[in-house]
Amino acid sequence: MRLLMWWSGRALSSAATLLGVSVLIFAAVRMMPGGFAETVLGPFATAEQEAELAARYGLDQPVLLQYGHWLAAVGGGDFGVSMISRQPVGAELLARLPITAELTVLAVAASALFGVPLGVLTAVRARPGGGGAAGRLLSGLGVSVPEFVLGSLVVFVFSRHALGLEVGSWVPLTQDPAANLATMVLPAAVLSVFAISVTARTTRDAVMGVLVEPYVTAAVGRGESPWFIVRHHILRNAATPVVTLLGTITAYLLGGALIVEHVFNLPGVGSYIVQAVGRRDYAVVQAGVLLAAAVFIVMNVLIDLLVGVLDPRLGVLAGRRS
Amino acid sequence: MRPIRLACGVTAVMLATACAASTGTTTAPTPDAQESPGYLTVADEKLPAGGTLNLAVHIDSGAATGYDPQLADVATTWQLLSLSYETLVTIGPDFSVQPLLAEKWETPTPTEYVFHLRQGVTFSNGRAMTADDVVGSLKRLLASKSVWRGQLGPVKSVTKDGDSTVKVTLSEPYTPFLAALANVPAAVLPMKEIDDKSVDPATTLLGTGPYVVENHRQDVSWTFKKNAEYWAKEKPAADTLNITIAPEEAARIAALQNGGAAMATLGNVDSSTMLAGAKDVKVVTQATTDFYYLMLNTQAPNSKVADPKVRQAINIALDAQQIADVALGGKGKPTAITPAGLPGACDPAALPSAAKSVDEAKKLLAEAGAQNLSFTLSIFNTEPAPAVAQVIQQNLQQAGVTVKIEQMDEASWAGKVYGKAPAEFDAALSWFAGYADPGMVTKWWNPETAGFNVGFMKPDKELNTLIDAAGEQPAGAERDEALAAVCAKADADAQMIPLVTRPATVAYRTDALSPSLYATEGYGNVLRLVADARVKKSR
Amino acid sequence: MKKLDRLTVGGLACLAVLVVFALGSLVGAGGDPDAIVGPRLQPPGPGWWLGTDNLGRSVLPRVMEGVGTTLLLSSVAVLVTAAVSATFGIVAGYRGGYLNELVMRLVEVLYSFPAIVLAILVAAVLGPGQTAALASIVLVTIPLMTRLVRAAAVAVSQRDYVTSAVISGARLPRVLGRHVLPNVAGTIAVQGTYALSVGIAVEGGLSFLGFGVQPPQASLGVLIQQGGTYMIAAPWLILGPGVVLVAAILAINVVGDGLRDRLEPRETRSLT
Repeated sequence: MRLLMWWSGRALSSAATLLGVSVLIFAAVRMMPGGFAETVLGPFATAEQEAELAARYGLDQPVLLQYGHWLAAVGGGDFGVSMISRQPVGAELLARLPITAELTVLAVAASALFGVPLGVLTAVRARPGGGGAAGRLLSGLGVSVPEFVLGSLVVFVFSRHALGLEVGSWVPLTQDPAANLATMVLPAAVLSVFAISVTARTTRDAVMGVLVEPYVTAAVGRGESPWFIVRHHILRNAATPVVTLLGTITAYLLGGALIVEHVFNLPGVGSYIVQAVGRRDYAVVQAGVLLAAAVFIVMNVLIDLLVGVLDPRLGVLAGRRS
Repeated sequence: MRPIRLACGVTAVMLATACAASTGTTTAPTPDAQESPGYLTVADEKLPAGGTLNLAVHIDSGAATGYDPQLADVATTWQLLSLSYETLVTIGPDFSVQPLLAEKWETPTPTEYVFHLRQGVTFSNGRAMTADDVVGSLKRLLASKSVWRGQLGPVKSVTKDGDSTVKVTLSEPYTPFLAALANVPAAVLPMKEIDDKSVDPATTLLGTGPYVVENHRQDVSWTFKKNAEYWAKEKPAADTLNITIAPEEAARIAALQNGGAAMATLGNVDSSTMLAGAKDVKVVTQATTDFYYLMLNTQAPNSKVADPKVRQAINIALDAQQIADVALGGKGKPTAITPAGLPGACDPAALPSAAKSVDEAKKLLAEAGAQNLSFTLSIFNTEPAPAVAQVIQQNLQQAGVTVKIEQMDEASWAGKVYGKAPAEFDAALSWFAGYADPGMVTKWWNPETAGFNVGFMKPDKELNTLIDAAGEQPAGAERDEALAAVCAKADADAQMIPLVTRPATVAYRTDALSPSLYATEGYGNVLRLVADARVKKSR
Repeated sequence: MKKLDRLTVGGLACLAVLVVFALGSLVGAGGDPDAIVGPRLQPPGPGWWLGTDNLGRSVLPRVMEGVGTTLLLSSVAVLVTAAVSATFGIVAGYRGGYLNELVMRLVEVLYSFPAIVLAILVAAVLGPGQTAALASIVLVTIPLMTRLVRAAAVAVSQRDYVTSAVISGARLPRVLGRHVLPNVAGTIAVQGTYALSVGIAVEGGLSFLGFGVQPPQASLGVLIQQGGTYMIAAPWLILGPGVVLVAAILAINVVGDGLRDRLEPRETRSLT
């Protein structure tokens, strides 16, 4: 019963957050200088053309009414029509989502595959009290190189020496999976550097926290093998923060890895939003940001769910998240 | 001290990468040699036709007016639409007017043009082009809100004379008429389909051109297929045209180097240096008649530049040669309001402002009581505009003028400059396409023709009279004099100050493509001769 | 007092060097960052010790100015964030109830925007420039810091010394200022250093996408963006700012780790 109450509360607060996002994005889009008409029609447009365009997209109505119409439409699954391409925004987002999703899956997989073992290894091998300066510095370096620096460097190096990988072009997965992978590996790798470093740091911290627990000492005292201890005591108990982090990374990347998409010219969700901001394509900005926020919020609920399953003490009933 | 050593190691690796990168890049770019007069390169016709041509360009067409060529007002859109639409006449090498859908034409009197239409031309839906399509298209253009209407001149009537002849009558002689007809907004549209509403030109491309659109994803890509009905039997050479939109320069350079693109447009003026070591990649710079200009807003309530003396002082202090050399890496040229490089254009060095010194600018400012002039220059962030603005700032500093640069995305910039009348900015930077006749772009100096300038520019009766007079003069020494008078008057007016021409850089893979490119271009159309390009190999 | 470990000291030293470097540009060391001093794209040499850029300006004073711009902008932004987050986080964490709910919902709304999208929207609304960069960094860093300060405040307010202060009749501002704030200060300091590195990255990203500080002013992001296009022809353009940017973020992160180990009590430490 308490569980049910908690979940309905969680759903309600998520909905409230999403509503807040919708208000904020709608207001922000309308506060941007450089109206849609000048941008979309260009400097040569006449007043009549501008009025005609405003009428076509309902932009001549009071703002509150516009917001109401938009919210009602989005509720019904209609994200509106792009003012530039005149195509439905929903369809375009759907076409772009797989690219962003693929990048996310690759980067998160890399974090789990490399970041977690790295973190466990450095934690287990660290001397008590000592920090393992090299490890700290290296993972510190990983989180310190911004995507646009690393991305530019990678594009530069691989445009001269391809090594079977591609930069600057993109092939749909459905058309040629191998070629698609060749174009996605490098951008995913650039994203992974940060993700792996953060994962390694968090894993290391979590594992070191568990290492000093009495049950680990007891297990060592019982003479259990190190591998057994890692698997049965440490990983199980250190899993929560790591899973939470991986979930957060997933949510963050699904919202649009837009700098990487921009640098590598990938037609994902992030680059769609950036271009739309530049073009004042209201429907696209609103839909894109709302989608990103929704994904983020839903992911966070899923993380809570997962954490609850992994460790009932920490999960839902403990109300770990406000 | 392990951490310190590690830090040093990291730095050393980065240094090594940079050094490796710098080797072999000191070779200076060779000047663009012309293969045949008027061309940077000519496609090798001995190569077989067919194949797929992959191109990368930096920006997509994008306007609420959709694909309607008559309402297209920027060069990047003309470029894409020109693959499917054609005009009566076209521009040849060195700005000569050449036949296209009109096989030939006569001018029985200075105000009459008789066009003989090419036979066997069909739209890509298979219907033959008729004189009605030509007449209807021109009438539709004249009745539209298109900005190009102002360039067509004083057209009195458009009539057909039989099935294959169209006659245009002007109310006065107008020398740039043919050059104005050669641009995409004057394309021949399928008027039968447009009139019966079976085709909406805003959403469908249906023209007589060499290519037909198969697919377009806004801001991502275009796919064009060969128009099987095309009237010139040997054209287009390539079967498929894939155009990728890549806003980031590095992405286009990368695609070019790894073969993903056979040809790409480049924005950076140093591209040839940067691609100097790249195997099989050739970089060429196409001279254009497009030019950058500085707008000084005289219409704002508290305008700091309302006094002509202040504007003239600014004009004198501007060093167009330094802008060309530094901001454009020597790839542009100083220009007057008639684009430098066009036959009949006036000499920028002969302008009144060019002969004066910075001291005279200071004196003018003192006379106007504006010794400590300071204003904001609004620019868009597309290179090389920021570079041009920063050199302007350094120039004006010499005359004691302080310039604050305000850089924004193109959307905000357009809103600020064109959004309100009177406009609120102090000064702004932009560029015009220069077209193929020296008189055409001067028309934008008349805000009554160019409505978009009304918010910041006061019409100058005398200047407008001079512009119209130069338009009426037939090409020759007298017209050159008339144009020189326009240049001098605009130089003194200085509400819009012409600066330097804008170069276009194109790079292509010599192992993948044999393209044709003019040495000079007036309408910003790098893809003008793409139907001639021969594909050697494609991926 | 426990001594700071060597790595943290190294990080602090590195930051000190960067600050001195940036201060140098204030007294005109290195020359005018905006002046055209020589031919374009010259490799390092006398007169321009780090080479010249695509406008013939000396790179050295531009990197000095850029470090200053970036550090100043991010520091000011993080101070604002710290003030706002401390106020709202402590009050929400201590008082709980509807106030807590309201603050957390607002924070959650901001947190749901992808960081760089939020920054771009702010820049689009305010117009690019220092103000927009500042506002972006503040809005991007506020959610996490507020959440963590609040969590720390919740933990602290259940301690005995707070309860006894309340029982002995201390007024609310005194309780919050004298008893709660000092005990969450560690969290604020630690999160502040992380926010600083995030701020530098956000400023860089914004400038990289063309929404950052206005020309001719230099920031590390602007310099890297320009240098990136010249990586082949003039690698010295990206090398200086790139190394300095990574060094700054790295040093700040290292200092942040060191501070966390020292200042943050285990029970108030966040798991992620």
